[in-house]
Amino acid sequence: MSKRVGIVGAAVTPFKAKWNEKTYYELAQMATREVVKDAKISIKDVDSVFYAIYNDIFERTCIPEHPLQGLIGMQDKFGMRVSTGGATGAYTISAAHAYLAAGRFKTALVLGVEKCTDCFDFLSMSATPEVIKTIGWSGDSFFEQQLGWTAADSYAEVVLAYMDEHPKDLKPQVTAKISSLLSQYVKNNKFAQRQHDQVTPQEVMNSRLIVYPFKELEICVYTEGAAALILAEEDTAKAISKNTGKPVIWITGLGEANEHSFAGKKQKVMPRIMSDYLASHRAYKMAGIKNPMKSIDIVELHDAFVHQLEITMSEFDLVPRGNADALIDDGLMLPGGEYLVNPCGGLIYCGHAVGASNVMSAWSARNELIKRKKKTALVHGTGSTIAQYTAVCILEHD
Amino acid sequence: MAKMKEKVIAPEYIPEKGSHVLTIDKEKYLIVNDAMYTFYQRSKGEFSPFFLGIRDDKKILGCKCTKCGLVRCPPFLTHCPDCNFAPTKIVEVGQVGKMLSTPPITYFANSLFLKMAPYGRGRVVLQGADTALSVNVYTTTGILAPGIIKKGTEVKVVFRDERNGEISDIFCVPTKELTKAQVAKKGLLASQINWEGAVEPDLKKPTAADKAAYGKALKEIKSVIKLMNQTERARKDIAGWKRDIKVKTTGGEFAIIINNGDIKLEEKKLTKPDFVVVARDPKVLADGLAYRGAITDSIIMKRLWISKNIEFTTIFKLDRMARSVARSKK
Ligand SMILES: [Zn+2]
Repeated sequence: MSKRVGIVGAAVTPFKAKWNEKTYYELAQMATREVVKDAKISIKDVDSVFYAIYNDIFERTCIPEHPLQGLIGMQDKFGMRVSTGGATGAYTISAAHAYLAAGRFKTALVLGVEKCTDCFDFLSMSATPEVIKTIGWSGDSFFEQQLGWTAADSYAEVVLAYMDEHPKDLKPQVTAKISSLLSQYVKNNKFAQRQHDQVTPQEVMNSRLIVYPFKELEICVYTEGAAALILAEEDTAKAISKNTGKPVIWITGLGEANEHSFAGKKQKVMPRIMSDYLASHRAYKMAGIKNPMKSIDIVELHDAFVHQLEITMSEFDLVPRGNADALIDDGLMLPGGEYLVNPCGGLIYCGHAVGASNVMSAWSARNELIKRKKKTALVHGTGSTIAQYTAVCILEHD
Repeated sequence: MAKMKEKVIAPEYIPEKGSHVLTIDKEKYLIVNDAMYTFYQRSKGEFSPFFLGIRDDKKILGCKCTKCGLVRCPPFLTHCPDCNFAPTKIVEVGQVGKMLSTPPITYFANSLFLKMAPYGRGRVVLQGADTALSVNVYTTTGILAPGIIKKGTEVKVVFRDERNGEISDIFCVPTKELTKAQVAKKGLLASQINWEGAVEPDLKKPTAADKAAYGKALKEIKSVIKLMNQTERARKDIAGWKRDIKVKTTGGEFAIIINNGDIKLEEKKLTKPDFVVVARDPKVLADGLAYRGAITDSIIMKRLWISKNIEFTTIFKLDRMARSVARSKK
């Protein structure tokens, strides 16, 4: 019988477009200092560290976690990095959970960090094109990179294939309303990159197309920052919780799935994000959730693109596939609706510090569960070409 | 794209050695120009027949599972994981196929693909294959707008004249834009297609109403451009940029001159512009400059026409300036 595992501490650094003041060493240590403070423990009480770092080129170092081990106070202890594209953070939580559930350790630090906008394009004298180029090295190097593969165009492939099947769904007015709604939520997130960047649906509609069908204000922004969690097995978690006075947020369900990276017969089904479907349903099963529509209160979803947010919600069975617009049209995700989706502002407004993003989402989900006295939250990470990877965590309040 | 005598990294991408100091809250931070680079002599290994087929024989190869018969193109494996790793054998597939789904179009590319934008990338299931091959898709009719190539659109593989044994040696165009003979031809070359299909739209003779509309739009464009020129944030958007743009509308013609941070409107006919913008209705351009909808979107939706694909970058900068002015007002 595996052990119960819960979150007993969480912290994030400010998410910023660029941290000239700090390197990723200091960002990682900042998040670590804050998270042990939140859990009211010493770093000496932490048995293991699981690093969530996506891209070596961003950090300009292969095995970028190696300098962190000593400077976060984890010398001579277990340390392992997870790197699974955009799903890095959620997968890292899953890995840490497995070690604790198996009884290998009593406590684990999950530490996500990314420093992506040091990349700089000297032709346009701006960072963004170089960030996109750097992510472009993640595409298939034999068959796709040279065709101008980008994260955006590969997700757009999936979204357009969905729209081929459901031409009346994902209406521009609805994606615009979702983006605008998230920009309102972000006002309450003082760590967010775009805390003061509120936009109207009309402004979203008027923003320019970057990659058809994605408009500029429907795409996540690249961010630098770090996020950290302290996970503990049941007895330790309860002891820490007693000391902090904050409830344990239990990790009751986990699910992961990686699809095929090629498409066509017997391979990736383009109009679906099967990784989201399989991962969420595996997590539901583990958590004993029979009716997700009834059980899930809060969703912290990796919204790389608003359209993908809608499709992902349908793969979670939180809105009908083919009518994901019901999220807005029927008010499912509007204030007072069935679910609170991305109260942190999501990756579009809080920012996407890739490896740290899903860890930030878990930080937000934990805060919201405690603050709003809600029962169940879902945390999600998506990544790799054509939305290939997914990891989902179900969090539950006592 | 890839020409034989090019360097693997084009010189213009390579910055000078250097550093500068940035002061934030009175603290100094050192910023250093840097790069992380690795060169390869990379083997295409088991994919060599596929890439040699493209380079030397203008053939597209796939692989067929000896057990289940599934034909995968590209032939990205040698043994079928669905059949307990039964071996596959190389087969030739057709050079006409159908789009598996509607391809996305990239309008704003990173520096590596700037010259290619706007470009489409989609997946084609070629005749005789079961799986999809990633390809760039182009149209011979000008800028690639949504709706030209969709799910199920029949396309033809076209080979670039200069080939290096890379996936970018081929691309696809809709068969309906080609002649029957071109569609039937195996190994059709890019140079065998007419790319001059994109012609400058004709403008009708202006009516009094057109002239009035021109006068009204021109007045607004003038004032917006003046405002842009006075807005620091907008001026920054065109730092280091130089373009003479000829703008033709039904009711009249003018010029927009961009010169390293400066932007001005001149009521004259340029003889040697860097590129031409045709706006049947000048209000479309006025709207874009005044931040009532992106100018790039108007090009994509064919309300505006530009003479050079590559000048999309300049249009993008104009959109940026419109936004900068709006933000400065906020
Ligand atoms: Zn087989």
